[in-house]
Amino acid sequence: MRLQVPLVITFLVGLFMAVQFFVPHELAQGPYDALLAWSRIVGAFALVLGIGSLLRTHWEKMRRRRRDWPYSLATIGSFLAMCVIGLGWGHEPGTVFDWVFQNVQVPLDATMFSLLAFFIASAAFRTFRARSTEATLLLVAAIVVMLGRVPSSLIVLFGQSGLGDLLSDRLPDISEWLMNVPTIAAKRGIIFGVALGSIATALRIILGIERSHLGGGGGGGE
Amino acid sequence: MPLSLALALLLLGALACAHAADPGAPTQVLAVDDPEENRGNALLVSWTAPEELLHLPGMEPVGHQVISQQEGREPVLGPVVPVEVTEAPLDGLKPWPWRPYQVGVAVRYELPPELAAAVSALPGVEPPFVLLQSDPFGPVQPVGTWYFTERTNILVLVVIICAIVLATLYAVRGAAEKVYIRPIAGLEAVNDAIGRATEMGKPIVYISGLSGIGDIATIAAMLILGHLSRRAAAYESDVIVPCQDPMVMAAEREIVRQAYTEAGKPDAYRPENIFYLTDSQFGYVAAVDGIMVREQPAACFYMGYFFAEALILAETGNQTGAIQIAGTDADTQLPFFITACDYTLMGEELYAASAYLSRQPLLVAQLRGQDIAKTIIAAILILGVGAATAAALTSGRLAELAERFVAWFAS
Repeated sequence: MRLQVPLVITFLVGLFMAVQFFVPHELAQGPYDALLAWSRIVGAFALVLGIGSLLRTHWEKMRRRRRDWPYSLATIGSFLAMCVIGLGWGHEPGTVFDWVFQNVQVPLDATMFSLLAFFIASAAFRTFRARSTEATLLLVAAIVVMLGRVPSSLIVLFGQSGLGDLLSDRLPDISEWLMNVPTIAAKRGIIFGVALGSIATALRIILGIERSHLGGGGGGGE
Repeated sequence: MPLSLALALLLLGALACAHAADPGAPTQVLAVDDPEENRGNALLVSWTAPEELLHLPGMEPVGHQVISQQEGREPVLGPVVPVEVTEAPLDGLKPWPWRPYQVGVAVRYELPPELAAAVSALPGVEPPFVLLQSDPFGPVQPVGTWYFTERTNILVLVVIICAIVLATLYAVRGAAEKVYIRPIAGLEAVNDAIGRATEMGKPIVYISGLSGIGDIATIAAMLILGHLSRRAAAYESDVIVPCQDPMVMAAEREIVRQAYTEAGKPDAYRPENIFYLTDSQFGYVAAVDGIMVREQPAACFYMGYFFAEALILAETGNQTGAIQIAGTDADTQLPFFITACDYTLMGEELYAASAYLSRQPLLVAQLRGQDIAKTIIAAILILGVGAATAAALTSGRLAELAERFVAWFAS
């Protein structure tokens, strides 16, 4: 029963979800909206589980004085402070909660995001070392695309010479072609594979062939 | 005001029962199904405005208001539209098999704004209003559409692909061991990564993407986690799973717990290793980066759907010296993973991983079905290119047919 009931529910809901995509009638879309609302409600309850997990993890770390436990103290302290501020004075624009969010959370997020620039540089350095034919092709394509996106840099590099004018005239088109033809072709190939893989995965879950997500082994003929 | 209030109450009371048109009410009310609305929730209501608006003492007309009433239910007032407007959509209705509606239109009279504001300020008192209602029209009901005709191409292709996959499952399941599966380096390396973690006595970090449990890529990532945990449990290696979604966390805890039980090591399962961090994208990245730098894992797995954080995670893992295996269907993030990770599962390989790792007959058979479907799609692509070329280069019946072929897939 522990395995059969979830399998039956998965089958029925999966089938309904597939059918409702093709049926715009209220009889299909009404239950679909209700299911979406339920998933949001379940998500809200799951958030309680998540917060419980977060607090328990850090509380244990503090209690046992594990390595770097002061960070856990900061996490729990920040969590409680934001709860008190938010529940006590609201979270609308202009409140203390909003001020802390705008002046702590947003800059911290921006800081993490800005790290991407440095990581792209280090990753590009590793990738663009021309150690094989493929890597050399990649390097050349990358240079063409980068310079093609900023044609004025070619004038800076080569001056107002014939070569500078020619490159600043042609490279943007070559760059566009590289992005629109070979890149898109490869991307579409991947997307086709992804679509087929998604359908097949959905099918084997709906039909109960794949059961490992239910804790029932790998499925598939077991 | 008492006179106005009495009049409003009188007319509101009259509204609840079917009655002849009030003097000064709209006439020739007509309600038809809204053809633009497929769900069957809306009617288009039109009417003729009264030739002359009545003068009600102390009140002024503010507009027309559509009123709908289902049999046995209270009447529902629609939004107020300006007096000069003579048609309005009526939303929030239900098609068959729900009961039909009677629809009417009324001229709405309210107190002057300053007086209404003064009445509103009184506790528990709503400003009165008067509705001069037309004859009811009906019974009438919106009509819902039973099929999205514009999605026929999707339906046909999905049915064909599902049929192929199911037929292959049936045909191949007895001889699944004979099905050739192309070696996937990233999945071959899973055992090496677990072995390395065991030898070094360091944990494995497993990230199952940043999309929710409703994403098929997350589900694929959870399936891989099940297989990985089973093998890690056999070697008693720790698997750390920081989660960005609490629902994913709950599901992954159950999957890992079951994997440890199946491996005969239920005591080695540590639920505290699967924990929720935050749903903030970069807050999550900061926390995972911190875990990697502190724990120095032997192996990092990135499976599922990723956004801008992909490279930050993978580069940090790279700097810790861990073996890194990624798998994603996010085509924009694939180049970053290919750059920073030792092995990358591209697109469909993520979905094939469960079959590859488990070698279960039905799952392997389904891979064959996918390949056949892919061949058919490739054939359709070639046909489409030919048809588009023919449509451009020829004329007449052939060009028309070719155009229709391309348009059917493109719509």
